[in-house]
Amino acid sequence: MDDVMSRDLISGLPQSIIESILTRLPIRDAVRTSILSSKWRYKWATLTQLVFDEKCVILSNDRCKVEDGLVNFITRTLFLHQGPIHKFQLTTTHLQCCPDIDQWLLFLSRNDIKELVLELGEGEWFRVPSCLFNCKKLTRLDLFRCEFDPPPTFKGFLCLKSLNLHQVLVSPEAIESLISGCPLLESLALSYFDSLALTIRAPNLKFLCLEGEFKDICLENTPLLVAMSVAMYMTDDIAEHFEQSSTCNFNRFLGGVPRLERLIGHIYFTKFLSIGDDLGRLPITYAHLKVVELNQVSFEDMKEILVVLRLITNSPNLRELQISGSSNTLAAIDAPDLDFWEDECPSNCTFKQLRVVRMTDMSGVPHEMEFIKFLLANSPALETMSISPCVYVMDGRLNMLIELLRFRRASAQAEILFIQD
Amino acid sequence: MSEVDMAVIKPEMMKSYIWLQTADGSIQQVEQEVAMFCPMICHEVIQKGMGSSKNYAISLPQRVNPAMLSLILDYCRFHQVPGRSNKERKSFDEKFIRMDTKRLCELTSAADSLQLKPLVDLTSRALARIIEGKSPEEIREIFHLPDDLTEEEKLEPLKNTTDDPRIRLLNRLYAKKRKELKERQKLKNIEVEEERVDDRSVDDLLSFINGDNGDSKGIKNSKSKKKNRRRKDQQKNTSANEAIKNHNKEPNGLNQVCCSAEVGQTVRAGVGATSNLHDVEDDIFDNKNELDDGDIDDEIDPALKEKIDREVEDFARRLNSDWPERMQEILSFGHERKPVHFSLNGNGSLRRYANSEQR
Repeated sequence: MDDVMSRDLISGLPQSIIESILTRLPIRDAVRTSILSSKWRYKWATLTQLVFDEKCVILSNDRCKVEDGLVNFITRTLFLHQGPIHKFQLTTTHLQCCPDIDQWLLFLSRNDIKELVLELGEGEWFRVPSCLFNCKKLTRLDLFRCEFDPPPTFKGFLCLKSLNLHQVLVSPEAIESLISGCPLLESLALSYFDSLALTIRAPNLKFLCLEGEFKDICLENTPLLVAMSVAMYMTDDIAEHFEQSSTCNFNRFLGGVPRLERLIGHIYFTKFLSIGDDLGRLPITYAHLKVVELNQVSFEDMKEILVVLRLITNSPNLRELQISGSSNTLAAIDAPDLDFWEDECPSNCTFKQLRVVRMTDMSGVPHEMEFIKFLLANSPALETMSISPCVYVMDGRLNMLIELLRFRRASAQAEILFIQD
Repeated sequence: MSEVDMAVIKPEMMKSYIWLQTADGSIQQVEQEVAMFCPMICHEVIQKGMGSSKNYAISLPQRVNPAMLSLILDYCRFHQVPGRSNKERKSFDEKFIRMDTKRLCELTSAADSLQLKPLVDLTSRALARIIEGKSPEEIREIFHLPDDLTEEEKLEPLKNTTDDPRIRLLNRLYAKKRKELKERQKLKNIEVEEERVDDRSVDDLLSFINGDNGDSKGIKNSKSKKKNRRRKDQQKNTSANEAIKNHNKEPNGLNQVCCSAEVGQTVRAGVGATSNLHDVEDDIFDNKNELDDGDIDDEIDPALKEKIDREVEDFARRLNSDWPERMQEILSFGHERKPVHFSLNGNGSLRRYANSEQR
């Protein structure tokens, strides 16, 4: 046996390395190492990261069997585990509302869980048990398809840094108080909520990702926000709500984020921002804003164009700009307010750092062309301007090109790329 | 670089060097920026002022031998250059990591002692890739791990309720027996030769399980080499045991899900579906050859022997008689069965199990 022991290549490595290796294995392989040799029997048992998914069990067509197998596997693994569990991740479509999950969460809440990711299946959503709210050390919480109902005594997760709720049934007040109750929160992602009106107060928030039907969003206290990505789906009643609203959404949303570096807006974001009365000069300058991506900007709506202009003219260090249009070409013939560009447009602003501009889904409507003209004329450092026409526009392309040729360029080295599909 | 070489270099090209000493005593110089890429060396230089000359060479930890040091320095030399793209670095890493497993393990150890985390991560990933998806036998072979767990220990942790309880019973019995025999062997310290099992006519039980030539593959009936009448049954059982056992031995209980399920499924597929289990045996018999113990029938306490034989016979009889009902059971309730727990003393439990079966 001595001979074998001295030949043993790997068991002598420090436990931290062994754990690092085992953590990189699928959990099933990691647990299997327990029968390799006597030394390996419990090496896996102190792993602090447990990631379960459907690869843990043999797939078969029998759904019940797979479910049972998965439940058994997880239960046994937890039972055999020793020591703290810092990360627990479960991703499966097979389990939805399974009572075992409650027990696992109870177990985890007693074992210093720090990162919890539950991605469960469609169907009846899992109702998160109260023991979850006792996980004092939680730093990351990802819930997919769950019901989240904090008890009234719940004040928040004091250590939580990252919160991701996707398709979670929760009352707006609960979310707001949850966010406010997590003072260290740095990353927040909320997706697929219905008609959510939300005020976000998170003094340490750096990353924000919103996707869903939001009736109203106000970033009241997010001074450290660095990057945000917002997709606002519009339903009829939200649209109606917007019609009647008079508060300036732009200020409410972007009024308090001086450190913003990246801004990505999808679907109706610019429309959302355009709602409300224009309060004139923007109080802040986005001195750090480098990358702006706005999708589905309608260049027929003057208000949306104003929003875009307002944003970029207050971003002296803007480097990259990407805009995709969503104009209806049939209405393009008759464009109102075309004088704006001559008369009212800020003529003394220069985009000194702007290097790359991408305009996609361009229909060639007059305002789009004027906007491009405006950019070209005021970007002395521009390197690339790429323009991709919308797929539905076939006839207008030549006209677009002819116009483009005429535009003056402030930057001698600017390349204009017309990208055909 | 030796000092002679250094003299040839023009003064303006001279860089600073750090002196390193490996555990075997050999000392070498390394360019400063390369060596300082290792946190441990960096610490020694900055905090303790070591490494500036041959007399004050930094003593590297024991786990860093010259060959490993050379590899590590190659790694550092490439990565400490700031201008490289991520793609280049990745590509270098992929090529760098191609080495035999022994060196990979040594490298991991050495990198860890020098606190060079990126390299530790890289090697850990490579080792994980090696381990992933392989059977325990393969892993043991690659890393030269001793197979020193008893069967029972292997089975203990993670049984799965989809196991066919019959198989679990066989495993338990086998494990217990093997353990006892192993202990005896240790006491006697006899080197036991494997004796090939004679071909013998196959008992009905075995024909249910695995068809005609269950024995003739040179099954390691390591327990019972002495063949007497009683042994015959037992051997049939043990060979079936082995078959299933071995199959279940490779993975631990977790894989028993799949292996037992496979076996279970072969059982389910019909009483006559013996071919699958055949294949099972085929697969595993190559691996089972280290079972050297157990050929000491003569020395087995006859009383114990008797007891074991009785148990097995009892079991075999029960199986034989119950088979059709059991088949039915398996087909309908396969995954709801609760594990039946056995004590090491097989008697009581066998009785218990037997009782529960004979409703």
